Order: sequence, then C-alpha cells, then structure tokens
Amino acid sequence: MADPPLPPLPPLPDDDTATVERVARPEAPVAPPPSATRRHSKDAPESPRRRQWSAGHALVVCVLALAIGVLLNAPGIHKSAYNKSAGWEREVALAFTGPLADVSHALLLDRPRKGVQALIGRSDDDEIDTEIALPAPGTPTAARPGSKSPTTSPPRTPAKPKPPRKVAFSPQKKLRLWVAGDSLVITPGYAVVRAAGSSPAIESVGGVDGRVATGLTRPDIFNWFEQIRTRVKELRPRAVVLGFGGNDDKAYMTGLPEGVSIGDFGGSAWRREYARRVGGLMDMINKSGGFVVWIGLPQTNSPEQTSRFDVINAVAQQEARRREGRATFVDTYTMFAADDGGYTEFLPDGSGQLKKVRAGDGVHFEREGGDMIAREVLKALNRAYDLTSWRKKSTA
Amino acid sequence: MLFPTATFALFFLVVLPLSWLTMPWPHRWRAFIIVASYVFYAWWDWRFVLLLAGCTLWNQVLAVRIWRTRTPSQRRALLFLALAGNLAVLGYFKYYDFFVTSSDNLASLVGLDMPLEVKSIVLPVGISFYTFMAISYVVDAYRGDFEPTTLEKFAVYLSFFPHLVAGPIVRPAELIPQLETPRNPRRVDTSRAFYLIATGLFKKVVIANYLASSIVDEVFAAPGQHSSLEILIAVYAYAVQIYADFSGYTDIAIGIALLLGFSFPQNFDSPYAATSIQDFWRRWHMTLSRWLRDYVYIPLGGNRGRRPILTYRNLLLTMLIGGLWHGAAWTFVVWGGLHGAALAGERLWGERRGRAERPTTAWTRWRSRIVVFHFVCFAWIFFRADSFDAAWEMIGGLFTGWGEASPLVTGGVLLAILVGIGSQYLPARIPRLVMARFSRLPVLAQATVLAFALMLTSVMGPEGVAPFIYFQF
Repeated sequence: MADPPLPPLPPLPDDDTATVERVARPEAPVAPPPSATRRHSKDAPESPRRRQWSAGHALVVCVLALAIGVLLNAPGIHKSAYNKSAGWEREVALAFTGPLADVSHALLLDRPRKGVQALIGRSDDDEIDTEIALPAPGTPTAARPGSKSPTTSPPRTPAKPKPPRKVAFSPQKKLRLWVAGDSLVITPGYAVVRAAGSSPAIESVGGVDGRVATGLTRPDIFNWFEQIRTRVKELRPRAVVLGFGGNDDKAYMTGLPEGVSIGDFGGSAWRREYARRVGGLMDMINKSGGFVVWIGLPQTNSPEQTSRFDVINAVAQQEARRREGRATFVDTYTMFAADDGGYTEFLPDGSGQLKKVRAGDGVHFEREGGDMIAREVLKALNRAYDLTSWRKKSTA
Repeated sequence: MLFPTATFALFFLVVLPLSWLTMPWPHRWRAFIIVASYVFYAWWDWRFVLLLAGCTLWNQVLAVRIWRTRTPSQRRALLFLALAGNLAVLGYFKYYDFFVTSSDNLASLVGLDMPLEVKSIVLPVGISFYTFMAISYVVDAYRGDFEPTTLEKFAVYLSFFPHLVAGPIVRPAELIPQLETPRNPRRVDTSRAFYLIATGLFKKVVIANYLASSIVDEVFAAPGQHSSLEILIAVYAYAVQIYADFSGYTDIAIGIALLLGFSFPQNFDSPYAATSIQDFWRRWHMTLSRWLRDYVYIPLGGNRGRRPILTYRNLLLTMLIGGLWHGAAWTFVVWGGLHGAALAGERLWGERRGRAERPTTAWTRWRSRIVVFHFVCFAWIFFRADSFDAAWEMIGGLFTGWGEASPLVTGGVLLAILVGIGSQYLPARIPRLVMARFSRLPVLAQATVLAFALMLTSVMGPEGVAPFIYFQF
C-alpha cells in the first residue's frame, strides 16, 4: 500500500552548500526492497541509491548492534553497574555485567575500547578505584604524602593546635584559591572565582573542579581523596573551598576499611566513617598549608532530603569546628531560608529586588544564590588571612 | 526517559517489534503507541501525564466544535477559548514565576507591594512543544485547512514519543495522514534511520558535551577570569554546542520515527552556512520558524501591511515571542529582539538597495556567511548567559584580555568546533554515499558498524548523561 504523500516542506533557498541534513530528507532516492533486486544497477556517484529494508531487518540490526555494542563496551558497562546506588538493581546489574566483562575480555572484544581510550589518554576510565588514603586522624602535620591509613577506630579529638599566624597576602603575593566538590559546588564555586577576581590579593588556581553525581561515600564513582591529594600537590593552594554531601545521603559506602560496616544512614557508625572522610580531607589540605572553607548543604524542596542533609551538615560542621583556625563551615541552610524558615526559590537581594537563587530542581543554586555564598566565603577568607593590609601600606 | 540511555534502548527494543506487530490493526496500534508514549513521558514524572491527557481532550473537543460550527462569531469564540486554555496552562507552568518576579521588581521601584507570591513551579518537560502542536491543530481546524480527526489519532499525534519532549514540532497535516493507514513493513528506510541516530548520538554525547565541559560552562560562569581568546572561542564553542545538542536530539527523534515507519519534517539544514538572518531562520529549528511564521507572523499581518514599518513591527514581535518561548527570562527576550531587529534591518537594507538580497558571487556569499555567523554568535551570548550582567561581562571580556594565557583553548576544543562547523559544508554526496553503502551491507556488518559507532560514542563522551539543552524549553 502506498504511503500518503507528505506535504512539501517550506521552500529552502537555493545554495551551493550541500549539507548533511539535506541529503537526509525523506524524498531522497531510495531503491526497491532487496527482493526486487537491482544489486548491480548503475549507481551514479552523485545520486547513489540506498536500499530499503523490512521492519524485521531493522529489529535484527538493532538487537545485534546492541548485543555487539554491549560486548565491546563491557568494561564501561560493568563500571556503571558498580557505580549504581546500593540495592537490588545494582546486584542484578553486577551479576549480569561481571560475567559479560569476563566474556568480552576472553574474546578480546574489549581491546578496541581500550585502544581508543589509550589513544585519547583516558586509559583509566574503566578502572574501579576504592582506595581511600587519608592522614591519620589527629595528626595533621605528621602524615607524609601518600601515606595510607584507613582505620576503623573512631576519630580522636585532635589536640587543639595553635591557630596559624594570620598570613598576609597582597597583589605581589596572592592567596592561591582552589574550589572542588560535587555538583552543588559548581555555581557557588564560579561565584567564588568571580569574587576572587575582584580582589587583587586572591588568585584562583585550577578553576572549579565540580563533578556531578560524586561524593565522599563512593570513591569507586570518583575518588576525591586521590584527586584532592594530587591537585593540592600540583596547585599548592593556601585556601581550598570544598562542598560535598549532595549525593552522600545514603546507607552505602565503598572503600570501607576491612571489617567495618556503616549500618543505617545517619547512625553512629555511619557518622563515624563519614567524619573520618571529611576530617581526613581537611587534614590533608591543612597538612599542605591550606585553609579549608566547607560549604554546607542547603535545605531543598524535599523535607526528607533536607533532614538527611542535616545529618551531613552536622558531621561537616563538627569536623570544621574541631579544626578551628584551619577550617570553617559556611552555613547555607539558614542563608537560603524563607521568612518562615522553609525552602524558597526566590530571595530579595541587597536592593530588595526578588532574585531566583535556587534552581528549578529544588536542590542546586542559581547564579544569584552562588553570589550569596561567595560573599560568605570571602568573609571567611578575610577572617583567616590578612587580605587587606597591603592597601594601607600602598597608600602610606 | 532520555534517548542516549540504556533504559530507552530497552524500551525501544520492546516498542519496535510490538509496534510493527500491532500495525495491521490500526486501533490496537494506536492504543499501544498511546500507552507506550505515556509510559515514556511518565518515566520523568507520572503526574504530568494527566496534563498531557487533559491537553489532548481540551483541544480535541474544541477543534471538533470549531469545525462543526458555522457561525463565524461562535467559531472565533471557540478558537479564543482553545487558545486561552492552552496559553493559560503554558503561562502558568512556564511564565508564572517570571511574571511575578518581574512585576514585583517593577512595583518595588515605585514603592508598591505585589500581592502575588512566587510558587516555584516545576516545568513539565516538553510542554512548549506539545502546546504549540495542539495550537496548530485547533487553528488549522478554524482556518478550514485540516479537518479534526478522531480523539485516538489526535492523542497519537500529540503524544507520539519520538517528538514528545523536544520536537520537531510536527504539523497535523504531516503526521495525522500517516496514522490513517498502516505503514509498509517491507519498506523501512533503515540506513537513513541508523545514520541519523548514530550521528545524532555522536553530536550530542561527544561534541556538545565535550565543548560544554571543556570550555563553555567554565567561561560563561566566570568570564572575568578568562582571556579574550578564551571568551571568543567559548562563544564559538557554544554556537557549536547548542547546534550539536539540539540537532543531535532531533536527528535521533527523526531516526526513531523512521524505524517505526513514520516521516518527520526536517528541523535543521546547516544553519551556520546561512548567508542572511532570514536564511538562518530557514535552517535553524525549521519547524519552530515555520510555526511562528504561520501562527504568529502571518496573523499579525506578515508583510502585507500598507507601510513597510508594519512588516518590521511584525518581524520584531514574532521574534520577541520566539525568544520568550525559549525561556522565561529577559535575556531570551533580548535574544529574540536582536534577531527580530536584524531581520527587519536586513529587509530594510534590501529594499533600500533595490536589488536581490541574496549574494551572488562566491566572495559575497562567504562574506555574508561570516557576518551572519558572527551576528548569530553574538546573540547566543544573551541566550546562554545567566543574566545581563554575565552577558555584558562576556562582551566586555572580548576586548580587554588579549595576550593573556588561554589554557582552555586546546587542540581538542578547536577540533570539535572545526568539526561542528565544517560538517555543515560537507558535500552532500558524502553522507549520501555512506548511507547507500551502508544499506548494501549484510545484516551482521550493519550491526557491527553500528556497534563500533556506539563504542566510539561511549568512549569519547563524558561519563553520565547530560540533559538536552532544549528540554528546558
């Protein structure tokens, strides 16, 4: 049965520019189905004919392409399964993709993927790294870079060290600032970078290392402990703005020390292990001479999520308090509360104009919201360091 | 449900055979495809399926009433009712908070308090697209251009999952006639379908995502921290990113529809090879351009006004509405206004010169292409920037930081931009030849080629799935 003709598309201008899309129009010449074979018909190079196939053929090609594609991509699919949230879906996915990766490897079908990865410098994309290397708790200046000290013992309250001397920075000797964290840190991070740009005594180094769907509970998805260790060594920042926890509100962690279990989310074992990770990161940065500004989690449009974020905030705030003078916690919960104390997407700015400060997803920040956080971060840096005395000296 | 995900692949592997198996029985097929499309939509948020179903019923009832009513005044009243309903829903979900904040800010300037409060409304994905399709259905019925069909066919037309969330904006006369009779299962243009799906995935997952994460997001977030060269390249990169993102999506949508036996209209035609702004709008988001032309520009009077100024006004108004359609922010309005002013200016220039507007020599064509491309890039700054401050910072930064270090301008970024723009000048015979050769391969070879394309896209793309830019519209 002949298909009813489509009405013509609006006229397009004549042009000598031949295009990819243009050749893909429905009215392009097509050959009859394979049964009415014209296999060796004379195809002029400028008007090659393409063969139409049956719907069954389309289905077979789709199934085969996906099957071969799954084998070719088995290492990546296995990693994706590993990265899933804990639950039956992850168990099923791992049960399926583990053997699949083995078969792919045995048949050498993972070689093309590895070859392309090597070619573009991403050979470690499929590796699953869960090792957490942190300085020993309470000894922020004793641990050596690269030391691995996963421990099951509860973190001891570190001996309160003497707060560091308020170091002065100037346009000649700038405070090196780095920002890292999950997706919630991206918008505030860039706001901090913008704000830093207006201060002659601060220099942003390394931009904003914000990574979506990552956190401190799942080093298999992205190993922040390794990343921060490496980047701090490379960039030598004197101030590091961190923001984590948006994806950590679950009763599941990888990279646990041998024999440790964390129990339910928010329970004492969970808090202890999370505190070990948060505190360990702070110590790692302190050890290299950096001050930590930890951006807390805001309330969201979901009360349940907000209460889970409260747990994470409590841990981070406590760890920052334990390192007074070396770390500080920026409370975004109250900063973004409405008049009634609840969630709001809009807040008035300094001039009373209503601004959208939270993104439509009810979790992330808009640019204006990022600017509000950046102002608090700069205040914290000004408390920790002397960023203004150079002005007096230069005007004297 | 996003196209480049395993979830969609599994969904489609179920829908494809069942669609063809039920095709000989049109009622069953339509019932099946409505259920499949609603499942596709509900995957994102099931509550908005009710909104889609309500939109379907509202427009079907009123379109049929309009068609059957003879009295012009009653027909006009029914049309007004239909349009008001559609625009009220769209306005509530998409523009309510924008209206409240804009009014509140305006009122506060004169010391007044607005009684309305912002509601933080969640925008249903695809609402702008299916509302426009519904409007074209009732307006075509009012004009007598298209007789309303059955509720069942209209429901398929509005909810058909390949176009549901980000177009193309298909007209009733393009899709509904295809629903009248079963598609021919022996004549499926598979090579074109697979070509569009594979290139669409590559454009979206590799080109668009790479440029976004490598330079665009970082520079637009903090222009003051970047050199002029980085800002300039970020603007070019955004032009390629938005093209690759949106045209990639519609390529996949058209390819999926083809595998199900349906033809969708073309949505992009090498827009960065345009030689005028008018030409650009014939090539960029073509289904939206002609929708605006037929349902906004022409009803406003088009170019039939007694004075040329009326034509310019109509162009400007149409593009302002087009800008606002893209997003509830004044930056989008300015973006639309820039294009409207450019279209009007181009028309005025052509009339003043009293000769054909189209460039005739290779040199003038290339000169026009370069000028048009740079104007379009300039306007994209307002489209992408979060605020006017950010846009002006970008524009200012283009002139104040030359000679500074530009670490974000890498070989990979330049290559991706070159591929994105260069692909628009690819001779037509090359993809045609690729499709023809592919169509003659045996089944296993076709599957292997596609599997390798999937592998390359997976390896070269970033981890995770970035949302499509046009989903927010």
